[in-house]
Amino acid sequence: MTLQLTSILAEVAPHFDGYVYPNEAGTHPLWGVLIVLYPYITGLVAGAFIMASLVRVFRVKALEPVYRLSLLTALAFLLCATLPLLCHLGHPERSYQIMITPHLTSPMAIFGFVYAWYLMAVLLLELWFDFREDFVKWGQTEPGLRGFIYRTLTVGVTDVSDKALALDHKLSWIISIIGIPSAFLLHGYVGFIFGSIKANPWWGNAIMPIIFILSAMVSGIALCIFIYMVLSWLRRRALDVRCLDVMGMFLFYALVIDATVEALDLIHRTYSAQEGFYVMEFMAQERLFFTLTIGQMLIGTLLPLLVLGTLQVARKFVPNGIRIGLYFTCAVCILLGVLAMRWNVVMGGQFFSKSLRGVMSYKLEFAGAEGWFLGIILLSLPFIILTVLIKLFLSERMPTSGHVPHRMDNP
Amino acid sequence: MRFFNLPPQIVRLILLIFAILVSYLVARTLLTPDTFRDYGFFRGAALSEHISQHKPVFAGKAACGERHPDVLKTLAKGSHKNLSCEACHGVVSQEHLKDPANKMLKPTPQICVRCHEASPSRPAWFKQIIVKDHYSDTCFECHLPHQPNEAP
Ligand code: HEC
Ligand code: HEC
Ligand code: HEC
Repeated sequence: MTLQLTSILAEVAPHFDGYVYPNEAGTHPLWGVLIVLYPYITGLVAGAFIMASLVRVFRVKALEPVYRLSLLTALAFLLCATLPLLCHLGHPERSYQIMITPHLTSPMAIFGFVYAWYLMAVLLLELWFDFREDFVKWGQTEPGLRGFIYRTLTVGVTDVSDKALALDHKLSWIISIIGIPSAFLLHGYVGFIFGSIKANPWWGNAIMPIIFILSAMVSGIALCIFIYMVLSWLRRRALDVRCLDVMGMFLFYALVIDATVEALDLIHRTYSAQEGFYVMEFMAQERLFFTLTIGQMLIGTLLPLLVLGTLQVARKFVPNGIRIGLYFTCAVCILLGVLAMRWNVVMGGQFFSKSLRGVMSYKLEFAGAEGWFLGIILLSLPFIILTVLIKLFLSERMPTSGHVPHRMDNP
Repeated sequence: MRFFNLPPQIVRLILLIFAILVSYLVARTLLTPDTFRDYGFFRGAALSEHISQHKPVFAGKAACGERHPDVLKTLAKGSHKNLSCEACHGVVSQEHLKDPANKMLKPTPQICVRCHEASPSRPAWFKQIIVKDHYSDTCFECHLPHQPNEAP
């Protein structure tokens, strides 16, 4: 008994400080890196979609080259959004049971509905209406499997008369308008899941959904910049610098609002200093120093704010080459910063004891179901899917009617 | 194909949605586990599957009654009638089942206290005593365990 106890203590003790309940003194928190990836990936989906809707709904002409690219990005990431959760639960092969026995009162189960609505009613429909004309054309010109895929995707509708196309356009616009609140719902929901846990002072917070949506927009736009630039380099094509400037501008606006709201949250927490504030303060300074102060605040917010802000004012004085490099750096910093923010939210809520008198810590492992290796695999999956989607739908070779990067006729 | 002069895209989409719905309903009827919702929002058979993985350890009142029909009868007369033998005597040992000569250990008064010590968490109708105020802690001197209302 004593031997058992000392071995448990030896294993567990270095992981916590202060007073921790026995049931909290495990070596691993219940939620690990997979649960961190889940809000990250869903956020990228929502952000990329909102980026695309800037073109459709708000008619920002300069962003047209990245319209289809950002929609496909949203699709590739959405297809992977549930994977971290399913892997975390440990039985991904049982996922179909969620659908055949839908539950209507569990907040976690509602994600199934939000997800299905967003995928089927918004994203796929909008993509279909946008690509329909091209599918018909490519189905006639492309041979073999490719042609077959395009012909299947037309679902048998070959009408590309002006009247039909005008209807496509109109419907796609309506879906975009429905899509914006849906994207907010999709990611606001993820914030709600955390924000509604009222027993946990780190999570239980009414503006959690808003913070999630804003950081999603920031990360989504950054992702679109990142993917657009990488794709152009891979294809050895010139970047549309005007498009980049406009993306950088929207990224800056989104970041300003996001940073303000997060700062408000911080000020509110600090000033009201409610129960649990001191343990959270300690945790933020000790356990989350690198991800919160360095990752989220410095690299993810302040640095890009400064650089993008300067570029807004002094765009004319910065040569194109340097500007492009700066945009890329900002995009990468923000992508890392938002990942750090998701980590801080998910892990932070588990790092302090319910006694509010002690904190735990946790070392990320390489292997295992919650190790970072699986995390990296899951995070690279959407990029692989996106590559296939780009090869199929944004090929440089095939003439298109829509908005694509690197069209054949414009070098 | 023209329904009410709807544009072809819309017709196809309606058909597609219809096809998805129908295949979903078919899949649902085929894949929903038989015992789902028998007791609640879960597969009823999961319970019996789980239970069957464990071997029972209690022999049960009927098994004890085969050898001790007299005790069974006396117990049934008193207010301990709903208790099972093993609640006081503990799990019946394999040795005792094989050979009655291997006697079970006799319960001590400690066992009475486990149920009868006054506690606010117990229902008010349940007879409770504050053991240190109640005569003495050798309960069997005054109460027969099998017929607690009778004195020896
Ligand atoms: C309320 C608790 C209680 C219950 C229920 C109970 N017993 Fe007992 N039993 C006792 C106690 C206490 C003794 C010991 C009495 C003593 O030491 O004088 C005892 C004694 C006995 C004895 C006599 C043992 C001996 O060596 O003299 C037998 C046989 C017995 N019980 C059988 C049963 C059977 C069979 C049942 C179920 C039908 C049963 N008991 C239910 C508490 C209980
Ligand atoms: C498993 C729980 C349990 C154990 C152990 C137990 N009893 Fe009881 N006892 C009951 C229940 C149930 C009743 C009947 C409910 C009531 O009338 O309050 C009862 C009733 C009684 C009564 C009141 C009888 C009446 O009708 O007024 C007495 C006295 C009593 N028990 C004594 C004992 C003694 C002595 C022992 C130890 C040998 C003992 N009990 C062990 C559960 C237990
Ligand atoms: C000296 C004899 C004596 C001893 C020893 C004794 N009791 Fe009693 N017990 C009585 C009498 C007499 C009553 C009924 C009058 C009363 O409540 O005082 C009674 C009543 C009870 C009641 C019913 C209380 C009620 O509210 O009606 C319970 C239960 C009980 N005893 C349990 C026990 C337990 C358990 C022990 C052992 C820890 C024990 N008794 C020891 C004599 C005794």
